[in-house]
Amino acid sequence: MLTMLKDLRRLRREERLAQPDRGRSLAIRHVDAGSCNGCEHELTLASSPYYDLQRFGLGIVASPRHADVLLVTGAVTSRMREALLVAYDAMPEPRRVAALGDCALGCNLLGTAADLVGPVEAVVPVDLRIPGCPPTPDEIAEALLRLIDSRTG
Amino acid sequence: MTDYRKRVRTALEGGWRFAGLHASEGGSVVRVLLAAPDGSLRLEDVDVEGRAVPSIVDLAPAADWDEREAADLHGLVFDGHEPLRPLIDHGAATDRWTVRVTGDDAYEIAVGPIHAGVIESGHFRFHVVGDRILQLDARLFYKRRGLEQTAEGRSLEGGTAFVARACAACSVANGVAYAHACEDALGLEPTAELARARTILLELERIWSHLNDVAAVCAGVGLAAGNNLFAALTERARRLNRELTGHRFLFGTVRIGGSALELGAKDVSAARGELESLRRQAASGWRELTFNSSFQDRLPDIGVVGAADATRLGAVGPAARAAGIAEDVRSVSPRLTYDRFEAVVPERPAGDVQARLDQRAIELWQSFELLDGLLAAPVAPAAAAPTGRERKIGVGRVESPRGATSCVVERSGDRIERLRLRTGSYANWPVVAFAAADNLLPDFPLVNKSFELCYACADR
Repeated sequence: MLTMLKDLRRLRREERLAQPDRGRSLAIRHVDAGSCNGCEHELTLASSPYYDLQRFGLGIVASPRHADVLLVTGAVTSRMREALLVAYDAMPEPRRVAALGDCALGCNLLGTAADLVGPVEAVVPVDLRIPGCPPTPDEIAEALLRLIDSRTG
Repeated sequence: MTDYRKRVRTALEGGWRFAGLHASEGGSVVRVLLAAPDGSLRLEDVDVEGRAVPSIVDLAPAADWDEREAADLHGLVFDGHEPLRPLIDHGAATDRWTVRVTGDDAYEIAVGPIHAGVIESGHFRFHVVGDRILQLDARLFYKRRGLEQTAEGRSLEGGTAFVARACAACSVANGVAYAHACEDALGLEPTAELARARTILLELERIWSHLNDVAAVCAGVGLAAGNNLFAALTERARRLNRELTGHRFLFGTVRIGGSALELGAKDVSAARGELESLRRQAASGWRELTFNSSFQDRLPDIGVVGAADATRLGAVGPAARAAGIAEDVRSVSPRLTYDRFEAVVPERPAGDVQARLDQRAIELWQSFELLDGLLAAPVAPAAAAPTGRERKIGVGRVESPRGATSCVVERSGDRIERLRLRTGSYANWPVVAFAAADNLLPDFPLVNKSFELCYACADR
């Protein structure tokens, strides 16, 4: 166990991740509305030691009730439309929606008309767009930090 | 017994394995894909009469999901498949797709489709007494995009995009299964150089995927250090993918009839160096996990799927091998570079969470060794060679990180008439539901993560 912790400490030293001075936070609720699982895998690694999203006060929370941001991946399938709306409705104001990945933005969607509703903005209003197929962990982190920085007061 | 059932039964008794079933030609014919121990594949057809077709689910319980899917898509009735529950039809009432569980204190817990974390969407209905799971009904297909149906009528080359979109985590395995199926139909055979390029890509995919799976099990028991360390290694593996191919998930690297992958002497040498460093770090981390008793205490006797059940349910991949079933498509893949490859099983093939985790480690060491050999020489662009044996229907089968993935392509000239992709995740989801029964509810995330299946490539 000690070796493992030592390895992680060394990694942290070598990566020299900046210590944030933002003093703010964002609670994120992720919803997979019909992705290929690529955005999920990259979002997961945004919390890994190479990016450590948590140091900026960015954390994934278990309920939309606790969330500032709904982070949605995938083009919305007809079977996920209702669940997405329920999650959105459960969020307290002020709330933001971030569309993560090209599918969520409506780029080159593949599927039948019956199975796909369309991009995220066809179902809920979108405040932040994060393009990429899939966006890399640092692109995800940078976009979310822009959202924090754009908040006033 | 109908002729169709006899043919399937004889094949199964002769050691063939069920590898998929789908309805075709507008639901007028049903085809079963069978795989022999030596890797050869064959299809058995049966004509649909009216809407009825004989079920083979009693002969091959692994056909359960396939028959239900065909029934939902084409309105077929599989005679003898009782009850024929809906699978992808979400319009059906709850009592039609769940198993009724009654008794003192029995109740249901509905979880999902949205889960509490960064997890794909799917619905689980647990029937429990207290914390003990009696039965789990998994309802997936929330992410169904109808990719196979949309691919119909497109060119074979155009079909690559639909297969790629099915799943990022299995993009190479699915892509190679599809390319093999198309090449089988077009009368093409990979040259040694093309086979090597694809084998490199398949093993790169397995390495990041298995590293991710170890991290996931650590997360499943709340061991942050183990999760972080293996997540860091997963990140390095994806960075290596980008170095070698320009994409962290190796997107766009697999196509029909050839490969554009080009790695010079410096590239392969740097890749071998990074893989060796990754292997050492992973081995060191693995040793730490082995001696962490509070971690190890959580793993044995949880989510048990023994050899008999794994065989009956048609489990594939690490999940089957963890139960002692030494089967791996890689050992019978003449179209890839797996010379003298032998399937391995863990020392303690108990089919529980521990065995499935151990199996990931064993396969990681295997893949590191394979890649070291495969990357010993530069890689040049390559093409497939014509065999002169063209067919209307082509088949392909590949060992993905999650197990055997089969692809059937039916064509009319250069156009796709029917595409079926049956991934390792699709085969193993019913096994997860079986594994969950009789465990404690709080152990389910751990059981689930010990399989670490994709929802996307099951749902399509």
